[in-house]
Amino acid sequence: MANRGANRTRLLWVSLLVTSLFLITLDLRGVSVISSIRTGTQSVLAPVQRIGSNVLSPFSNFFKDITNLGRTNSKIDALKAENERLKSELIFNDNVLGELEQLKGVLNLAGKARYKVVSARVISKGGTGTFGETVVLDAGSDSGIKRDMTVIADAGLVGVVKSTTKSSSVVLLMSDPSFRIGVRVAGSQDMGILSGEGEGKFSLRMLSATGQLKAGDVLLSRGSSGDKPFVPGVPVGKVITIDNSTGQLTKQGRVMGFVDLNALGVVSVVIASVDGNPGDALVPQAPKPAPTVTIFVTPTPTATE
Amino acid sequence: MTLNRLPAIAIVFLLFFILQESILNKIDFFIGGFSLYLAFFMAWIMQDERNSAVATGFIAGLIADLSPTLEAPFGLWTFILTSMSYVLATNVRAALDSEISPVVMSIVTVSGSSLALFLFVLCGAILGQDVGSSSYVVQEIFGNAMWTFLLSPLYVPITVALYRATLTARNR
Repeated sequence: MANRGANRTRLLWVSLLVTSLFLITLDLRGVSVISSIRTGTQSVLAPVQRIGSNVLSPFSNFFKDITNLGRTNSKIDALKAENERLKSELIFNDNVLGELEQLKGVLNLAGKARYKVVSARVISKGGTGTFGETVVLDAGSDSGIKRDMTVIADAGLVGVVKSTTKSSSVVLLMSDPSFRIGVRVAGSQDMGILSGEGEGKFSLRMLSATGQLKAGDVLLSRGSSGDKPFVPGVPVGKVITIDNSTGQLTKQGRVMGFVDLNALGVVSVVIASVDGNPGDALVPQAPKPAPTVTIFVTPTPTATE
Repeated sequence: MTLNRLPAIAIVFLLFFILQESILNKIDFFIGGFSLYLAFFMAWIMQDERNSAVATGFIAGLIADLSPTLEAPFGLWTFILTSMSYVLATNVRAALDSEISPVVMSIVTVSGSSLALFLFVLCGAILGQDVGSSSYVVQEIFGNAMWTFLLSPLYVPITVALYRATLTARNR
């Protein structure tokens, strides 16, 4: 009797496994019904994600902040005094101001390059179970956003639009392991391929054996045919280390992205590039050192009795 | 297995999926992330009878595959969760006492979630998906295991209560 029960379980298990393999095959063969199921899910989830984002925005960094407690103990007293002053203000003010600051920055960047952009808020992120780096925006095809459009933030490139619904879009972040972008070094114009490696890490491989690379070089997007998926001239990151190991045909290096992908609030999707290639116009300016004021005090001799 | 339990199970898993996608994915855990959905699934399966567990694995997998941010082919989570549910319900469950202690349930949940994530990466890689460097994968799996263990006092009682709520009179 127990054996019959075990056989029935095994039969059910095998038939469900075959069904799942069938689904995988359908998806890999590009059957549109399967992809539209996920698009449909995103349409349903977007309003809930928007509510979740509003509710959660003050607490989303809670766990990260816990790790900094030890380092911030000395600041607690100073912050207590400041906290009293801030009590009268609304809790969401900081969040709104932060988003406004990001929006100002991204519009500045888009304005310099004369990109036509649509700005949107980040309402959700890809989860642990996805092993991918994605975010969801609260604007979609109704706002003119289409697949394969470049997404930028105040400091530079964020990623590329992967899919859209009427009111939301999924953006593949540049840190995703599947992300590749053609870049050029500002100044020398040497070209290379930048790859995401997850968790905000990037690697760079130059295309030409003669291509020169040094730490501190700024990388800009090379642009794609018809500006899709990438418009040219967007700041991507800065070279931090060069891999000088022998046996490599071309130079390789590690890169630090300009945009903090963990702190995305407001981003812009480039709908069109009005002026074509902005060249090196968007290279971030190094901060100018503030002049040091030195005051020489010459003691005036006083009469002593 | 009673078929009239399945709609209730599907609704419960759908609610946890929405919770995961709209709230938990937005939280910035400082190491890796936390998949409540996977943890809830493992804790649920540990209580279930074999046939029901396999059917639940299939439903939970289908729901997990709906995630719009997922790069992997549709059906991969279904494949993994159906397999995991069979292994947990037949092999692991059979080796444990009939009344599982919360500590044992936490340990099995942590191990099961980690194994499911590892299998997902492995099968994804076989199917041609880019999964990132090994350090990234290890960090993600380790982070998830840590949070799954630390937060188990919160979700295990909820899972047990919800599981009991979906039982029909005949199951009880």
